[in-house]
Amino acid sequence: MSKNYLEVKNVNFRVGGKTKVKNVSFSIKNKGDIICLLGPSGVGKTTILRTIAGLEKIESGTIKLKDKLLSSAQDHVEPEYRSISLSFQENSLFPHYTVEKNIYLGAEAKKPNGKKKLNPKKIIKLLNIEKILSKYPHQISAGEAQRAALARSLVTQPDLLLLDEPLSNVDQSFKEEIQVQLKKILKDLKITTIVVTHDSYEAFYLGNKCGIILGEKLKQFDDPYNVYHFPNSIEVVNFLNRGILIPAKVTGNNSLENDDLGLITGNFIKHYPTGSKVQLLLQPEDLEHDDDSNLKLEVVDRKFRGTNFIYTLKTTSKLLIPVAVHTHHKEQHEVDDKFGIKRPIHLEHIVCFL
Amino acid sequence: MKFNFWYISSLAISLTIIIPIFTVFTSFFEDTSNYFEILKQTFFLEYIFNSLILLIGVIFLTFFLGVGSAYIVSFYHFPGSNFFKWALILSFAVPPYIYAYSLFAFFENYGTAFTILKFLFGEGNYNKHIPKFSGMFGLILSISFSLYVYVYLLARSSFLYQSQNLIELGKNLGFSKFRSFYTIILPAARPAIVAGLSLVAMETLAEFGAVDFFSVNTLTTGIYNAWITFDDLAFANRISFFLLLFIFLLFITENLSRKKARYHLEAKGGFKKKEKIKLNGLKSFFAFSFCFILFFLSFLFPLSQMLYWTIKFPENFFDLEIINLFLNTLYLVSLSSLVLIFFALISNYGNRVSNKKILNILSTLSISGYAIPGVILAIAFITFIAWFDENFVKSFGVVSIKKLFIGSILGLVTVYFIRFYSLAFNGIKSGYEKMNICVDESAYLLGYSKSKTFLNIHIPYLRNSLLFVVILISLEIIRELPITLILRPFNFETFATTAYISASEDLLEAAAVPSLCLIVIASFFILLTSKYILRVDNE
Repeated sequence: MSKNYLEVKNVNFRVGGKTKVKNVSFSIKNKGDIICLLGPSGVGKTTILRTIAGLEKIESGTIKLKDKLLSSAQDHVEPEYRSISLSFQENSLFPHYTVEKNIYLGAEAKKPNGKKKLNPKKIIKLLNIEKILSKYPHQISAGEAQRAALARSLVTQPDLLLLDEPLSNVDQSFKEEIQVQLKKILKDLKITTIVVTHDSYEAFYLGNKCGIILGEKLKQFDDPYNVYHFPNSIEVVNFLNRGILIPAKVTGNNSLENDDLGLITGNFIKHYPTGSKVQLLLQPEDLEHDDDSNLKLEVVDRKFRGTNFIYTLKTTSKLLIPVAVHTHHKEQHEVDDKFGIKRPIHLEHIVCFL
Repeated sequence: MKFNFWYISSLAISLTIIIPIFTVFTSFFEDTSNYFEILKQTFFLEYIFNSLILLIGVIFLTFFLGVGSAYIVSFYHFPGSNFFKWALILSFAVPPYIYAYSLFAFFENYGTAFTILKFLFGEGNYNKHIPKFSGMFGLILSISFSLYVYVYLLARSSFLYQSQNLIELGKNLGFSKFRSFYTIILPAARPAIVAGLSLVAMETLAEFGAVDFFSVNTLTTGIYNAWITFDDLAFANRISFFLLLFIFLLFITENLSRKKARYHLEAKGGFKKKEKIKLNGLKSFFAFSFCFILFFLSFLFPLSQMLYWTIKFPENFFDLEIINLFLNTLYLVSLSSLVLIFFALISNYGNRVSNKKILNILSTLSISGYAIPGVILAIAFITFIAWFDENFVKSFGVVSIKKLFIGSILGLVTVYFIRFYSLAFNGIKSGYEKMNICVDESAYLLGYSKSKTFLNIHIPYLRNSLLFVVILISLEIIRELPITLILRPFNFETFATTAYISASEDLLEAAAVPSLCLIVIASFFILLTSKYILRVDNE
């Protein structure tokens, strides 16, 4: 017997006769866990959700929920019998019913087996949609429709909730608040959830685990911290776009060297033989600002990011390196200024690729 | 393999409906009588020539009347403009054959025009001064005044949806109103206008009552004669095939001529309410006059003529079993609507849930029934039943099914079904197209089965479309003539057949009462639908 709550094993996810993601395996261990799937547009994230929901069939592998086989090449449990709810990215509200009726249809449609009945009012309040209850879907904004659909999904208290870009149309000012509330309610109700998003911060916040889908494959499936700090491939680094890769040469068990930055020390996540030529991942927070240092680089750009400035610095071999500095730091620099980097450079984790 | 009820049902429905097209095509493999030889030496070229002249005449006139009135009503505000926007669709209640009776009766020697002149100016020899509207000219007028509504409605909805930005762009470029009209507004409305003209073309080539009344020999009458005079079904079907080919060629030519041009911009949230231009003085007078004359000629004129005769010859009113005719019409309308809605719903839903290419192709073919003239459909149906009876039913030693389908309500409703299926199918389809497929999927995920989704989610959502379709079908059936005439049971009459029979016996006065009843009932249905027909209003 499988110990996992959800288990996806060796599945090729297909839509319209075309394979979108190949040979995918991942699992959700505990009830109430949230996992997030990240990837560029069109990579097949939605196809994965649709397949798990039973809207698409599979030709290989298995999908099991609570140890019950839902999909395989031979078997297919119809969506209406899966106790899985999918909140679509586009407006999927019943157009001829008011928002309230839509939500209550969700509450009535599936009687939770032995589950504590969820009061739709609580969800309605939480998602701040009280004012639009009497309106029809065509009378509300895309963000409101998304929240209403989310409410409808939540009130069904499914065994598995699938959210496809649930907050993509929600205003930025309201998004963080909803993320907090959403996570709280999912955790309180112990609703196991898979969230598809292209927003890595949203994924890192919501998910117990994150999956990165790139080039028809599930490239990495790990804790958000690991995905961010220890990406397992150059493709994941490029996708997350949270740093750059610079050439370096391994000089010892805890050190390597770059022509422009000199000696860099730290803990290798994966060891390489001394003398290996590698690509070193440098993230904006890896380097420290120090104008007293003799390592000076030219500022070519400065981006204001609220709490931080991200300086883009040019090295002598014309590498462009991002460095994050707190907005309130002394001696702010302008473009063309010289920017000092603290030496010796020490990194908590050294992530390299051959 | 799992049995898919929705897929199989949709497939069966589509296959049933394409039988007439199949029958028309297979006529090439059958022997014909010597009617073709006779026809070739006599009237065949005349049939083709007359059909072409009729088609060209009607298309020009309906284009002028339909686009002109739609433009005036959509872009300008003048006294009565709100009234005309729906009043102009009332002419749809007057079928071409009833218009033909009115036109003929008004201008004939000692007709209504003569009576009016005599009343106004005393005795006189007015007949030689009163123009005669008969033959081809009368026919073109009768069909055009009845059918311009197709062009009016589609052009108007297109004009209303045209972005204000487009019109402002014209102004910005310094275009005059006329230049803006023919360089911006008219080309942008081209698909809608062509769709309207295509409907007019199909109805014109299919027209039977008016053509027969004015004794103009067209391909439709040729088909009818091949069947009635020479009992040559195969040849009738062969002419039908050419007529069908001609209609399809018209579509294809227009489609190809568009190349890759697009006629609308997807301006999400960018729809700017168009402000109507207020007309004053002479311009306002001309706009009002154009619409009023059109409304008068297309609707008030035939209505008054029929009303005048009904009052003048009240005995016809009492001779007619109006209640009986009404009940017969109601019976046909209810039964056909029910059958059409039922099967069109199943087929649409089947298409939606199974999403199979073959079904899509068959559905597209099956809706072409509307392009097939009623006479052809009726004859093709009889041909098919006779063939089926001969080759299958009799070989099994079962009783002939001819009586079951020919000259019976069952046969009549079946052919109505084939003819008007496209109205029902497309009406429901356009309702469905507004519903994202996610809605269905959401329902499944909420635990609804396919049937429950269909009944609890789709039907309530489609109720407005269904109501609209029912009224549209009713309107068509009330006006329908050739199918009813050919396939109705013995002694079963409708307002349309009664009017036709009286007119063909030269008893035009007697045709007035059923014609008037038909116009009144059809007008009632039009007024019921006007809310939906004109729903594109952003005024």
